Amino acid sequence: MSAASAALPARRIVDALADAAERWRDADFPARVRATRGLVARTGYTEPVVDFALDRLFESLTREALAVTIAGELGSVEALDGFVARTGRPDVFYRGVARAAIVSSDTTIGVALPALAFALCAKARVAVKERDDGLVAAFAATLAEERPELGQRIETGTWPAESAELRARLARADTVVAFGRDATLADVRAVLAPNARFVPFGHRTSAGYVTREALADESLVRAAARGAARDALLYDGDGCLSLHALFVERGGALDVAAFARAVAAACDEAAIEFPAGYAELDAATAAYRRRALFRAAQGEGFVHAGAVAPHLLVLDPPRDEPPPLLRRTLALYAVDEPRDAAAFLRAHALPLEAVALAPGAAGTRDDVVRFASESGAARLCELGRLQAPPLAAEHGSAERILPFVRAIYRA
Amino acid sequence: MSDAAARALDDAFLAIVADWTRGGAGCDEARFDECARAAFAYQRERNAPYARFAAALGFDARRAPRTWREIPAVPAAAFKDATLATFDATRAELEFHTSGTTADRAGRHYVERAALYDAALLAGFDRFMLPDRPSLRFLNLVPNPRLRPHSSLGYMMGHVAVLRGDGKAAYFLDDDAVDASAFARALGAACAEARPVCVAGTAFAFVALLDALEAAGTRFAAPPGSRVMETGGFKGRSRVVERAELYARLEAALGIAQEAIVAEYGMTELVSQYYDAPASRTAATRVKVAPPWLRTLVVDDAGCEVPDGSEGYLRHVDLGNRSSVVAVQTEDRGYRSGDGIVLLGRAADAPARGCSLDAEDLAASRA
Repeated sequence: MSAASAALPARRIVDALADAAERWRDADFPARVRATRGLVARTGYTEPVVDFALDRLFESLTREALAVTIAGELGSVEALDGFVARTGRPDVFYRGVARAAIVSSDTTIGVALPALAFALCAKARVAVKERDDGLVAAFAATLAEERPELGQRIETGTWPAESAELRARLARADTVVAFGRDATLADVRAVLAPNARFVPFGHRTSAGYVTREALADESLVRAAARGAARDALLYDGDGCLSLHALFVERGGALDVAAFARAVAAACDEAAIEFPAGYAELDAATAAYRRRALFRAAQGEGFVHAGAVAPHLLVLDPPRDEPPPLLRRTLALYAVDEPRDAAAFLRAHALPLEAVALAPGAAGTRDDVVRFASESGAARLCELGRLQAPPLAAEHGSAERILPFVRAIYRA
Repeated sequence: MSDAAARALDDAFLAIVADWTRGGAGCDEARFDECARAAFAYQRERNAPYARFAAALGFDARRAPRTWREIPAVPAAAFKDATLATFDATRAELEFHTSGTTADRAGRHYVERAALYDAALLAGFDRFMLPDRPSLRFLNLVPNPRLRPHSSLGYMMGHVAVLRGDGKAAYFLDDDAVDASAFARALGAACAEARPVCVAGTAFAFVALLDALEAAGTRFAAPPGSRVMETGGFKGRSRVVERAELYARLEAALGIAQEAIVAEYGMTELVSQYYDAPASRTAATRVKVAPPWLRTLVVDDAGCEVPDGSEGYLRHVDLGNRSSVVAVQTEDRGYRSGDGIVLLGRAADAPARGCSLDAEDLAASRA
């Protein structure tokens, strides 16, 4: 850590990050325009989808959100600069670790940036293995324009997984945040120093639950259907926040099949707002569709494939099989109560990141909230909000800045 | 349609088999087309789930397929979801279950008349596996049909071992292991008797056998005329060995030349099988050929035929499937090559299934 950057108060770092993010909120900001092209090329997502991702990302990186998150976890932002008093507890100084490393995911956009922001607030030097879209490097360049000393603390690269360059950076890091498959995470963990902190984010998925109360009238139905469609189709169904299984209660004013048709219609609309990155169903999804068509012909469920866009919605697929974790594919399961959904999730040991509930009070009956809380998910939200997690909340049950600091108390 | 219709279809099928077995062509395009469409018409009346599926695709009493190529193909996975039989399945003379993990339902293929299955099986086996001699000793790394009566692979090898074996057939795939020691003793005895063998097994079982033989430093020089029938592939399982490597190891360990190693390609959902074409067994790319009553279309994701040589999904039309579904859509990929197909394996991300699961499940349970 250079003396200059170490001397920079945390609030100034927050200011610089927020100011850099502010510039990236402009869709015409040249660096963003270039990064968008790179992201479209790397991910295969369409430009509206990439734009949505960048908007959500940089809209969340505000001065207030950063400060509130740090204060929420450490008590105050100033605790990053020196000892601060605490009521009833010894004074504390949250000293940042010397070095942090972040390994980006291949299916998400900018997932490394929040971690980078908090590592910088902790005044760590940060190495980021990024993807070849150059997003992190481009944001670091903007940040360096705001505060050159911050730019000097960031190193980015696309080092191959087995490379000595990456392994060396991981080996000397005090804290490592990594996104990826279980095998990738195991490889990363294997090269870390014994006392390094490791914050892994493995592959997970998300589910939803619609109560019968949320099917009481047309506006509620429309809101839930739109939300489900958006959550299922954004990012082509990739990533841990994509909706793949939606439980819908029987006994509502609208029956489950009718709700499925409403979701199907909403998917067709969402596919216009967020076009798919590919023209036809991929092979696995096409095969799944064929089987679903066969089942539907037997009177078991309902299947809808986008007429002009590749997406698939299946009502009541076999319960003894896990939900189809396929791209742009959503399975709806009719249930009588949350216990049915819980049993299904338990039977298939689905690792959940989030559970989305129908918007408003109609979606949040006590037993449903209890089910969602006990599902293993790290987050509850409204349908339609899955893909826009707030910065100020924990990520995957992990704190944002605590992994990058060590507490020193004075007593 | 009456039982007479079933008998007529079966007689037509058996006539094709007999013709081919005697060295005839079996059936040309017109005969195949007529038989396939007749089978479909029969199944549409007798097999309600198939009829419903066909109707959903626009084929009903008012609209029939114009050619065999248009016959609606049921996805292979549908055998898990419905009883696809033209008869009361409790009367099935044969009942085969697809392999699957414990969390997965098995598909069931009911065969009304074993005679059809047996005729197709023997004709194909004789032509492609046993053209040069009347019998062999069968050393089977497949499920023992007495213990696993619903394994189509077990039934197949059990049947040919009885009819084309020397009375000393044995099985080395138990419920919990590949019994490499017993296999070694059996092959050693065959060598001592100069009795040529047919070693039949799944690719995964062969790997387990080879691992054990190599660890023990055991090698054989199988008697001349010996051969291997490999089937099942790996189908997305955890341990995959390249086919060239597998065959090289088999040749080294068993003393059976690679051109005497024949890959069979079959499915629980089909009565008939493909085998490596004899002419391609020394080539870098093996082409699989089938008896004339089994034809295959190569289609794209949307189900449309692709040009010859282009990769796609295999859709089989098997006249032997008279009592179930004549057209089956698989997730196996391949392309046409001359009169045969080149099999590329299972589509990525398709649920892994297939005969090799038997052996891998065993390997997993040993771990």
